[in-house]
Parts: sequence; structure tokens; C-alpha cells
Amino acid sequence: MKQFKHLNVRSVEEASEALGSGNAAMIAGGTDLLGVLKDNILETYPEAVVNLKSIPGLDRIREENGNLRIGSLARLADIAESELVSKKYTALAQAAKAVATPNIRNMATIGGNLAQFNRCWYFRKSENRFDCIRKGGRECFAETGDNRYHSIFGGLRIGASACKTECPAATDIPDYLEQMRGGDPGKAAQTIMKANPMPMITSRICAHPCQLGCNRCQSDESVNISAIERAVGDFIMEHRDEYYRPPAKGTAKKAAIVGAGPAGLSAAYFLRRAGLGVTVFDKKEEAGGMLMYAIPPYRLPRDIVRGFVSALRKMGVEFQVNKEIGKDILPEKLECEYDCVLYATGAWKRPIVGITGEELTVFGLDFLMDVKNWMKGKIGSEVLVAGGGNVAMDVAVTARRLGAGKVTLVCLESREEMPASPEEIERAEDEGIAIMPGWGLSRVLEAGGEIKGMELKRCVSVRDEEGKFNPQYDESQTMEMKAENILMAVGQAVDLSYFGENIGLQLTRRGLIDVSDDTKMTSKEGVFASGDVTTGPDKAIGAVVGGRKAAEGILRHLKISDPKAAEAPGESCLIRFDPEGVRKTEALKLGALDGDKRSLDLEDSISPKMDEAKREAARCRNCGCYCAFPSDIATSLSALGADIVTNRRTLSIDSLYGSSLSGSTVLEPGEIITEVAIPAPEDGSHSAFLKMAWRKSIDFPVVNCAVSTGSKARVCIGAVAPKPYRAINAEALITGKEISEKNAEEAGLIAVEGAIPFEAARYKAQLAKVLVKRALLAAGKQIAIELAIETEAK
Amino acid sequence: MPETIELNINGIAKQLDAAPNRTLHDALQYQMGLTGAKHMCDRGACGSCTVIMDGRPVLSCSILVCECEGKAIETIEGIAADPKWKPLVDAYCKWDAMQCGYCTPGFLTTAKALIDRSPNPSEQDCREALAGNICMCGTYPRHATAILEAARNMNSEGGGLNG
Repeated sequence: MKQFKHLNVRSVEEASEALGSGNAAMIAGGTDLLGVLKDNILETYPEAVVNLKSIPGLDRIREENGNLRIGSLARLADIAESELVSKKYTALAQAAKAVATPNIRNMATIGGNLAQFNRCWYFRKSENRFDCIRKGGRECFAETGDNRYHSIFGGLRIGASACKTECPAATDIPDYLEQMRGGDPGKAAQTIMKANPMPMITSRICAHPCQLGCNRCQSDESVNISAIERAVGDFIMEHRDEYYRPPAKGTAKKAAIVGAGPAGLSAAYFLRRAGLGVTVFDKKEEAGGMLMYAIPPYRLPRDIVRGFVSALRKMGVEFQVNKEIGKDILPEKLECEYDCVLYATGAWKRPIVGITGEELTVFGLDFLMDVKNWMKGKIGSEVLVAGGGNVAMDVAVTARRLGAGKVTLVCLESREEMPASPEEIERAEDEGIAIMPGWGLSRVLEAGGEIKGMELKRCVSVRDEEGKFNPQYDESQTMEMKAENILMAVGQAVDLSYFGENIGLQLTRRGLIDVSDDTKMTSKEGVFASGDVTTGPDKAIGAVVGGRKAAEGILRHLKISDPKAAEAPGESCLIRFDPEGVRKTEALKLGALDGDKRSLDLEDSISPKMDEAKREAARCRNCGCYCAFPSDIATSLSALGADIVTNRRTLSIDSLYGSSLSGSTVLEPGEIITEVAIPAPEDGSHSAFLKMAWRKSIDFPVVNCAVSTGSKARVCIGAVAPKPYRAINAEALITGKEISEKNAEEAGLIAVEGAIPFEAARYKAQLAKVLVKRALLAAGKQIAIELAIETEAK
Repeated sequence: MPETIELNINGIAKQLDAAPNRTLHDALQYQMGLTGAKHMCDRGACGSCTVIMDGRPVLSCSILVCECEGKAIETIEGIAADPKWKPLVDAYCKWDAMQCGYCTPGFLTTAKALIDRSPNPSEQDCREALAGNICMCGTYPRHATAILEAARNMNSEGGGLNG
């Protein structure tokens, strides 16, 4: 057994203090904890074990004001034998008698039973062989492995799922996929827009790291999350008046946003939603920033950006375009006139690489902004593009579509390290662009001021051991590439010249505006910055998040609460998946224009239809913990409507279980169950408990069920979900009714209607159905029914 | 640092060093030399390590010895040495309620606690009380027979309830 310190405490307060002060576990009966301490199954082991049995008076069973109150240290044997419990709270007495074995019941306590670890064999596997989601891992092994004793009513979200973790915006991806499965794109839209106001844009251009996080990648193909996001984004555009409503109540506060790119637009949305007066300044003719000017329309049609901007305008956001800060308006003036100013000016400046002849090359971003000019036959027949990111891919494909005969792309990174998203690399290759990874630029080859090509040198590594950009070359390995145009897409720099000589803001070592990570406030009170100007060139979604955080920071600074953001999250309920849908191994592929129809202005890919998106959402396994919580006691207490009293609060038995790592309950460190309080059943109400296990004694339930009748009828099924499952519709059916063979049968049928069992666990739904019926009949007739199970010896 | 605890084993007051992570079963076996309570599953699933603590049969593998301060523990050694329980031991032998014998101390200890609590158990009582004791040889039917006879004999001999 593990080593630990052992503490006998005399009071609940002392115990709570001992538990709160460090990594400690409490021990009551010990029958669960000692097993856990003997097998190596936890990530971290307690340094101390706090003995609750030394606290006097915690094991009382008594009636108070007609209600039953059981101390958390009451032993199950005593509860089972208590006449008071057997007579009035029959289901609990029957459940207590059904737990484990008589000799264990002599030790086990009611509190310990409620707080036991789940019995999932992946979780319990000794030597910690399965890094399951309950232990901080990424997945639930029951979803794809042997799962015959697992949940049949869904799972519990434990921590953030892998896709959400990978999303820079932390979008609640599993939530909106579930809403899509439920056929509610409107709800899905709301979920996305809590994190990101422009899914119609990000779905088209985001590198969607969420999909790399998808657990399906380990077996087949990731859920095509961006395709689903795109369907939702298009849905939002169709109903844009509904989703970009002006705020119900305005405030007198005003914010100025400099830069109408993704960061600025995102901040504008969240600030306007909260009621601020928002003015966005941009020096270009149209709002949208890089979205409008740098990303080619074949990836992101201009009209989508325009549609989003016009929706913001309808929301009441004011746009002042063709206004250059530092020239038309001075920053000082803005900071004077507005309550808050947000600089989201991006990274548009050409960086100097420092190679000979660099002045002859063309900056990729200029090339993209100036495509119209290049249409007049300026592009040569051989073009070299430098860079490995999405901008480089855009430049290369655009050059190709402009008519360049041969486009070669060189980048420092190896193929695997290229920052461009796989789709963009694929698109480039489809168009016949030759990609040469692992080469650096050496010098421009020229003759009389005319480009002839580029000398390349081998790049052996891009980053140093600390992950910093520090390319190393093998100077002996060089080659010459012929080219008439050289387009440089090796990054962009931040231009802060609009501030004039004296910027007045603290900068980082990289020359970016230094902001607080949390609020995006600069060193100057009331002045904020976000997006590329604070991070250097990053993904659009990064800027969207930066904008959102800046908006949150501004609202906090101005002490304005956003009523929309304050909407409380729902109770932690069971998460569901589509047992049929998840079997589909192939991901949805977006339709695309045929190669010969592709152009510079027409979007290459075609949005999925809503039902296609819904079907793809059905492939999501909705990663969470799908264990079956085995407590017999919890099931019976749920049927009796019990409350759990801790040293800090009273909570209903149904809210005791929720998403938490390792433990089964939602109790906090140092929180101790002190009592179980059960309301007296009304006159004529009866309860019963039944358990199906492979052996009558010793075993955990395969399914158990407890019911109570009367005007507050309850039907609870256990060992079928990570927490006791209340069959609400069955309860409605029998509420206030006499129990008959007919309604008991019917209640059983509808109790399992919502079951979504794994293939191997289907029998549990059948068992649950029968158990509900028999438990109801037992309660109705007030007789104890012994569930006889004949199992063949294996 | 193991602390010293006092407890009563088979009617005799004892002192022993109790390391925090030592089970009662290990302490009995390795510190007290009482090997009757058997080490088997070590997870509370088989009943072989049953002892009686403050009148209740419990599983010594799932109890920390440091939590037994002041407790009265009875083991199979104490039961075997007490002439009062000779009828129970005899009945087990007579009815051959064992085969390999490894689980027998656990069964017998549980049975003793049962008769303590209800001197006239029914067959159903016996089955229920022994539900947590596992015998891999499959001697189950004989246990109730032996216990019922022992209870009968004890009641008549000792002038007990029925006497």
C-alpha cells in the first residue's frame, strides 16, 4: 500500500482543515479508499489520510421534525436494520442491504458509499494503464473499447474536451455539435457566437486546430468541425438581423477601435452588444482588414466580409473608413474623445530578410492587395514564392491563377513543420505548385537590375532547443532556382509609425505593443490593443479571440456588465451522442469547383447543406466520461428526494454528481458530507429498490432501480450513467397514480426511451425497463420483491 | 513514525506499533503471529480475512490497524480456544463444511458472530450472513447445516434460550 500520514480528527472543522491544507484524502469505512491505495490507479496519491471515524456523533440515524436524518458515518448494516428506515424509507433500507456483502456493510458508511470512485474498469485498471478522461487524459476508452458495463444514458463532460482545448477561441465545440444533432442550428449559432462573432468567416479560413485535437483522428478521420461551423455561419448570415441585434439598452460610454480587421471587428461586436457606442476607424476603403485585402476571394468571398460588416453596422457600430490614424486623426485626440481606445492595427509591414537583391522582390501582401494590377500580364512564366504559411499558399495559388506557368514555393520548414494548414498545402499542390520544404534564401540572382532567380541554401533546422526561431543552414548545399518574379511571404511586421515619434506605450522586446494577457490593456490606462499588433502575425481566430478579450477588458475597465455574457451556464447534465452516427468513419468532404472552373474571384469550396452538417455532427463522439456510477444508495436516495448536507452547503442528491476530475462528486477540497436528509414520504407514498447483479451478494449492480410513488413520484435508475438517472417522463406518468400492471409496464417502456447504449450495453436498457416495472409494482403492493437471476456458470 | 496503539485481541490487552498504511490483517499476521485470518483477495471481496471487531464481523484486509485503538478484536484463534464454541467447530468438522480449508476461518468467524447475534438462526439467516464469504471448493450447502446444528447444540448444552 502507498505511504501516507494518518490523522485522527475530532471534529468536522478539524477534518476540513486537514483536507484543505494539502493533498489529503478522507477515510470513512475505508472499503473503497484502501482498494484505491493498494492498486496504483490514481495520478497523484494523497500524502495524508484523514480519519473521519474519530469524529463523535456522525453516525446517528434519527428523525427530526418528521424527516429522516442520517449521519454520514452511519454504517450501511445499521441503516438496513433500522426499523424506522425500513418502514418509512423502504427503498433506502433495501438498497443498504443490497450493497456488497454483510461484512462490508458492517464497515461501509453511507457517506463513503455516495463518494466512492466509479467502478469503470479503465479507470480502475491497476498500474494506471488507461489515461482516461477522469484522470486528465483525453478520451473515454469505453467509447471505442469494451463497454458492456458502461453508461446507457450518456456521459459527463469532464474538463474541456480535446477539440475545445485546441480551439484558440475555446469555442464550446461539443456543445454546438450536440445542438446541431438536436436539429437546432439557432442554438448552435448562439453557442459559437459567445466565443466568436464571425463563424461564417473563420469557418472558411481558420486552420482549425480543433480538428487536430479530435479524438477520432486516432481511429479514422476527425469530425469536419469547420464544415459544420460553416453551415452554422451561413445560417447566421441568412438570419443576420436576428443575431446582430442592436443592444436593448445603450450606455453613454464610447469606444474607438483603430483597425477594422478580425480583432477590431470582434471587439466591436462584443462592445456594441454590451451597449457601448462603438466607432471603428480604418485607413482602407473598406472594413475587413486582412480578411478583405489579403485573403484571396477564392477562399473567402468579399461579400461575406461585407455582409458581416453591414450586420455590425446595423447593430449600431459606426465605421469611419479612409481615415488614417496619425494622419487624419491623431491618437491623442482619439484617446481624449473616447472613453477607451483599442488599437488593432495588425501586422502589415514588410519585414527585411536581409538578402542581397531583396529590393527587387515583391512583398507577398502587396501582391495580394494589388492583384488587379497584376492581371495585366505582369506575372512572369516562372515564379518563386518564399514562405511556408497560409499567406505563402495564397500568394502561390493566386500567382498560378494569374497565369504563371511554373510556381515554386520554398520554405525553411520541413514538410511536417510547415505552418500552413494541410488543406491549403493540398490546394496549392492540386494547382501544380511545386513545394520545396527545407530551403532558405541565400541571394537574389540578377542581371542589370532584372531578376533571374534565387540562390537557395539548405536549412537544417528552423528552431532552437527553446523553440525560438533560429534557422541553421548548411551553406555547402546550395542550388539556383530560375524565376522572373520573387514573391516574399515570409511574415509581416508591425508598423507603429502612426503614433509618431513618441509611442507612449510600453513595447515588448519584439517591438509589439505590450498588453496584459487577460484584459489587453496597454501600459496606458484606458488604452487597449489586441490582434497581430500585440502578437505578431497570427491566425485570424487568434485575432478574434484577442478582440473578444479586449472587449471584456474594456467592459471591466468601464465597469459595464454584458447581460448576454452573464447568462448562467446550464446545470451539468448528461451529454449525448448519436450511436448510429458515430459509426460513420468517413468525414464530410466539402464540395468543390472543378479545377478548370476555379478562378481568383469565385469561392473554390461549396458550403455543406444543413442536413449534411447535421449528419457530420452525428459523427462526434461527444467525448466525456461514460462510466456507470454503481452506488445502490445514491439511486435509492434520488428516488426519496434526499438532500446531502456538507460542512458548507446542502445540495440535492441529483446535483451531487457532476463533472470533476478523479472524484465522482462535485464536492470541493475540504468539503465533507456530514448528513443525509430525507423528507418524510407523504401519506400513501411508498418506495422500493431493486438491484440486478450477476451474483446476489458481493457484486456491483449491472442495473439498479429505486422508485417512490405518490404526488412526488420518482423513478431513478442506477449504474446506467455516470450519475443516478432520473426517468422524468416515467415519473410524470405515475405521479399521483395507483400503480397497476399496465402503468408500471408503460413506465418501464418510457423510462428507457432516451437510452443511447453502446452496442455491447444494449441489454442494460432491457434490464432497466424490467426493473422499473417490478420496482413500481413492489412499491405499489408494498412487498419486497427478490430479483431472482439465474445465470449459467461460465 | 509508527504510533503505538492499544487494543484487545481475543480478550488480552495488547500494544503494538501501527504504521499508518498497515492493515489490521497484516498486523495480526506479521506482528501478532495470528495466521488464522487468511490473506486472499486483499480487496474485501472474499471474506477469508474476517475477524470480529466490537461484535461485528468485518474484513481485516480493509481496515487500517492504526484506526483500531481501543477496539476488541476476536480472531479464529480466540474462537477455537474458547470451549463455548467447541460445538461450532465440531459441527464444521462433522459436516465436513470445508475442503481445502483456506476459507474456513473466515466462514467460521462470520458464523460465530451470527450465533452471537441470533442464537436461533434460520437457514436463510445463515445464507445471508455468509453471503460475503467465498469458498472456491464450493462447500456452501454444508455451512448452514453445520451452523444450525451447532446453534441447536449450544442452546441445549448451555441451557440457552431454548434450554
